[in-house]
Amino acid sequence: MSDLPSSLFTRRDFLSTSAKLGAFIAAAPYVARGADGTGSDQVNVAVIGCGEQGRILINAALKIPGVRFKAVCDIWPVNRNYAENILKKFGHDPKPFEDYRELLATVKDIDAVIIATPDFKHAEHTVAAHKAGKHVYCEKLMSNTVEGARSMVVAARESKKLLQLGHQRRSNPRYQHAKDKIVTGNRLLGRITNITGEWHRAVSADLGFPAGKGLSDAKLAEYGYANMHEFRNWRWFKKYAGGPMSDLGAHQIDVYNWMLGVNPRTCMASGGVDYYKTHEWYDNAIAIFEYPTTEGIVRATYNVLTTTSAGGGYHEYFMGDEGALKISENPKATKLYREARAPEWDEWTTKGVVAAPLSGEGAPPPVKPWEKVGVKKLGGPSKATVDVRETAALSAWDIPVTLDKAIHQPHLENFFDAIRKGTPLNCPGESAFATAVTILKINEAVAAQKTLTFAPGDFIA
Amino acid sequence: MSESSSSPTRCEYTYAFLLIRLWLGLRALFAGLEKFEKGGSYSFTAYYENMGRMAAGITGASFLPLWATKLFAMSIGYLLIVVGVTLLLGIKTRLTLLAHGLLYVALSFGLMLVQEGEGVAWLGMHVALVIGGLLLVQHNRLALVRD
Repeated sequence: MSDLPSSLFTRRDFLSTSAKLGAFIAAAPYVARGADGTGSDQVNVAVIGCGEQGRILINAALKIPGVRFKAVCDIWPVNRNYAENILKKFGHDPKPFEDYRELLATVKDIDAVIIATPDFKHAEHTVAAHKAGKHVYCEKLMSNTVEGARSMVVAARESKKLLQLGHQRRSNPRYQHAKDKIVTGNRLLGRITNITGEWHRAVSADLGFPAGKGLSDAKLAEYGYANMHEFRNWRWFKKYAGGPMSDLGAHQIDVYNWMLGVNPRTCMASGGVDYYKTHEWYDNAIAIFEYPTTEGIVRATYNVLTTTSAGGGYHEYFMGDEGALKISENPKATKLYREARAPEWDEWTTKGVVAAPLSGEGAPPPVKPWEKVGVKKLGGPSKATVDVRETAALSAWDIPVTLDKAIHQPHLENFFDAIRKGTPLNCPGESAFATAVTILKINEAVAAQKTLTFAPGDFIA
Repeated sequence: MSESSSSPTRCEYTYAFLLIRLWLGLRALFAGLEKFEKGGSYSFTAYYENMGRMAAGITGASFLPLWATKLFAMSIGYLLIVVGVTLLLGIKTRLTLLAHGLLYVALSFGLMLVQEGEGVAWLGMHVALVIGGLLLVQHNRLALVRD
């Protein structure tokens, strides 16, 4: 029996330490290559899946020094040619492939593969890349099945190669600051009791394709697609994806798990295809989780809509008894609040943890360029009290950290730093697996129409 | 009731003008003085900082050249104090009122160019009071130096 108290070394610590150690071991040859002067920091990369998300990742990775694109792969020539052409414009000379197997077998000097294919292909592509000895950066959601996600973790483990999943908020410095300095570090929110989150998107038309540029039925069938419409709109079909909870909610519910440091213990959900006639996956869904934190239960709701952008767009909102954090990838939708009962935050302003707002909610009225600075202006009429039980208003604050890069770039940088220097991955396969299990349970709960329970072992691949 | 009993008396016109004179005089005096203030203290350095910002702001948002806005901005504070004091003391009141009006029209012109509607309306009220003052100036009493 270990002498260590269990509170000092939990399973989470073990997994975290293992992941860090694994990252270092996996990256060791690259660290050595850089150190002995026989090589360089160049990482040779292939991209499998050059559609919308693939292009976003290519554009973000192009800004990272030392990344060399050696190959691109997509079954649709339109996507493949686009990626090849844009990379050539930036001085790369990628070889184009239709079939990832040919790519992995032919281009031998690839260090890492970026995978941005539809969810149902993630496991197949990731496992093949790991078996070929490549590090993998794979878009979220890890897979549309738990089995698929598990096979990816196992493949990474067996190949001793890195696997980073595209939950890019974990590498966003504003999210990292919020977690390390506000929620966990200095506990400015106090006891968190509730989380709400949402991603509301306006109605969008199905994607089409240029006349004469469609793939043949035989080609589509070869790669697992029923027809060109489903190939272009795979996110709406159950065969290929996990629906909007997987497409959008995965990012934010991953933040729930990550920020709280625990996985949920129950999930209930409701959802349906209430609006669209051409979708299989729901367009309106709500999930409720219970998180068993060391301080007590945190109840969390998450709502995804693909029929309206009303309601505030996309954000995660952590509410505690001393403060609240509304955070979003969109900095304009990010705000921090202090409860009137909480201690003043002057100390945290001085230390750079929080900032008094200069614009937006809570900021002083804007001073025009020709106006004198520092003039005290009379406030407007005070708000009418609508209820004697209404508590004092929260004061609004800002997070003094901004991301001045493309939102995916820091996460890709973390991946390449892990390869080059052994930097711990911000979203390794083991951790992303827990998120995939959480997300896929929502779809189960929608179908079951009852509360489902997670066993602790469910989150371990 | 007879017509004569409902018409303002000479005395009432005098009081009306006195009120306008006091209001406009104090307003101009303190509008000039506040331009020397920054962070609660008054200095010439603060004046040139405040007015430099105002000049650059107007130039940045209009076609007026910086030399013109600077020339106006650097003198406006002193001019307001002078016309404020002269109006309060009753020195050449007609001329002082005209100077007041012209200063407010000039300020309005700058704000019109940067589409600062609220400020223009605010200054318009000042101009209206100056006009009222000019219409009543014949009832001016208690002047130090008469026109």
